[in-house]
Amino acid sequence: MTRSMLIMLAAALPLPAMPALAQQGGAPAVATPVHQALGQVLPKRSPEQVYAKVCGYCHGRNVGPIILGRGLPAEAVHYIVRHGQNAMPAFRPTEITPAELDALSPWVSQSPARKEEHGQ
Amino acid sequence: MSLDLDRRGLLGAGLAGAASIGLGTGASAASPAPLAPGRSMADFAGAMKAFRGVVGAEWVFGDEEAVAPYDKAYIPDPAHRYKPVGAVCPQSLEEVQAIVRIANQYRQPLWTVSTGKNMGYGMTSPATPGQVVLDLKRMNRILEVDAELGTCLLEPGVTYQQLKDYLDENRIPLWIDVPTVGPIASPVGNTLDRGVGYTPYGEHFMFQCGMEVVLPSGEVMRTGMGSIKGSTAWQAFKWGYGPYLDGLFTQSNFGIVTKMGLWLMPRPPVYKPFMVRHGEMADVPRIIEAMRPLRVSNLVANCNLMMSASYQLAMFKRRNEIVPDGAPLDDASVKKAAKANGLGMWNTYFALYGTDETIAGVEPIIRASLSASGGEVLTAAEMGDNPWFHHHQTLMQGGLNLDEIGLLRWRGSGGGLAWFAPVAAARGVEAERQTALARQIVESHGFDYTAAYAIGWRDLHHIIALLFDKADAAEHARADACYKDLVVRFGAQGWASYRTGVNSMDLVARQYGEVNRRFNATLKHAIDPNGILSPGKSGII
Ligand SMILES: Cc1cc2nc3c(=O)[nH]c(=O)nc-3n(C[C@H](O)[C@H](O)[C@H](O)COP(=O)(O)OP(=O)(O)OC[C@H]3O[C@@H](n4cnc5c(N)ncnc54)[C@H](O)[C@@H]3O)c2cc1C
Repeated sequence: MTRSMLIMLAAALPLPAMPALAQQGGAPAVATPVHQALGQVLPKRSPEQVYAKVCGYCHGRNVGPIILGRGLPAEAVHYIVRHGQNAMPAFRPTEITPAELDALSPWVSQSPARKEEHGQ
Repeated sequence: MSLDLDRRGLLGAGLAGAASIGLGTGASAASPAPLAPGRSMADFAGAMKAFRGVVGAEWVFGDEEAVAPYDKAYIPDPAHRYKPVGAVCPQSLEEVQAIVRIANQYRQPLWTVSTGKNMGYGMTSPATPGQVVLDLKRMNRILEVDAELGTCLLEPGVTYQQLKDYLDENRIPLWIDVPTVGPIASPVGNTLDRGVGYTPYGEHFMFQCGMEVVLPSGEVMRTGMGSIKGSTAWQAFKWGYGPYLDGLFTQSNFGIVTKMGLWLMPRPPVYKPFMVRHGEMADVPRIIEAMRPLRVSNLVANCNLMMSASYQLAMFKRRNEIVPDGAPLDDASVKKAAKANGLGMWNTYFALYGTDETIAGVEPIIRASLSASGGEVLTAAEMGDNPWFHHHQTLMQGGLNLDEIGLLRWRGSGGGLAWFAPVAAARGVEAERQTALARQIVESHGFDYTAAYAIGWRDLHHIIALLFDKADAAEHARADACYKDLVVRFGAQGWASYRTGVNSMDLVARQYGEVNRRFNATLKHAIDPNGILSPGKSGII
């Protein structure tokens, strides 16, 4: 996929019109905890964990558009994570490692929608 | 001409044309990323090669695609001046030292960030051309947590999320104190820019204790008690001996902080959040006058957020849900939308921390004075699951969310935000004048007054979110002009920013005066003769 196609695709993602429900804040849907030992760097996280600790604070919570269950191409997910998109900041390889992103992009693409998510 | 002027005269004079020799520095024909003043392609290439030798090729970024994540910012920058030329990402103190030695050798400036989520202040964009971002996010070890003393020692890349997860998992009954964007930002980065949060530990730099710093020479210095062999008080006693040094490394470019101690608040037995709802824009002075004695006496111990209705609405709504596109955001429409969502024109959040007995003792006093100011004093009992109340209830106990990122979608496709944050003493008349002036300026440029006051112990941070659609070139240019107008016209009244973005560091530094500026420059030139650490930070070159 070319870069301009990716951008078009990303731009086509509709933004949420308004909060559907009065439900903000709190921890996103449960994923296994990331165990970080004292004196050690953060271990590699699973896609579920990255989603819970980063993406899921906005997506599906009235801040960013819902991205699960929409079959977004993995390449588009990858591109948008690294470049940001309008209100979304970019995430650097030091924040979401290349290995984590390689697993995250297809996971976002293939994951089913979640009932508890809202906003779009 | 002074050395200072010589250095400053070089600003922006960097060479373009990195692409021409195929180094992939982020340069392209359309928008070349300039090198640092006076640096050649050979210097730059030599430094990048040497950096790779330290951290490995996979943690040095030089081509346009690889540098892209370092180039996304919310601030107005119509000429795209604040563009990094590369990035290097160490994982240890020794790697940082080696990078600093190389930077000195090649005179390659480094722009240091911890987690680099300085959103609305420039993210990871450097203040002057040709800088390589020194990205410390990979240094993210939680080194110590002392549950009895309520202290911790952290590396710069530890996010608030990591620290909170660690405390929760290990059932350590200590709280963190977050800025509103906790999950992706860091205690070290935020504290070094003297950021704020909303528990009683909200003035972050006050609760910092001990640092380890790599100096521009590559030497490592520990502040406070940290340089005493065998001391157990590095995170317990702030001042050490002689001049207090820690302040020198905040909002500055005198060193690279590689470890920081912080105090953490013990979880109180009882936490009770409140919202005070006021009905009119004109209630500003009454609210401040009522809150000040409560804050100065510490009866109310946390940093309060006094949020305008428009700021609150902008978090979860889009502008065209309130008024049609192109129409001014009038008070009547805002008031109507606020009311429909359980909000007033000003919504002030504070909390009480203690035991049932202590809270029962002070609550009536606080209620009496806030009610006398014309506010309705509300709690979870009345507000229930109101999303705004819930957001602030989360914040005032150091909880994590990113709800406020919603601000970035207020206008059009959004993505534009610059914080303008002038300080005043906590007096009603000052706030009243500031609100009037800010409204006049932003509205004259076609923007909205979406603002809050953070009521500190004796001060006000007037937090004005200049929200614009970055995809609209004309609006982007107007936002740039509006921001400068705000800085200049507030400055003329004696009000200057507590912190600012890379787009205005020089402008604000000039307001703090030439003597201060020269003093900073003298220090800078003495300790960093090659000018390699974050040139331009806080206007210091
Ligand atoms: C919607 C929204 C709400 C926000 N709310 C708040 C808020 O409530 N309170 C608040 O304070 N901010 C707030 N911010 C601003 C900002 O996002 C936070 O302050 C954030 O914590 C800063 O980013 P960071 O923690 O990643 O620090 P970094 O970006 O890593 O660091 C900030 C700056 O400190 C210096 N620095 C960092 N690390 C080092 C180091 N190791 N050595 C030397 N210098 C260093 C650098 O100059 C750097 O640019 C908000 C932003 C947005 C968009």
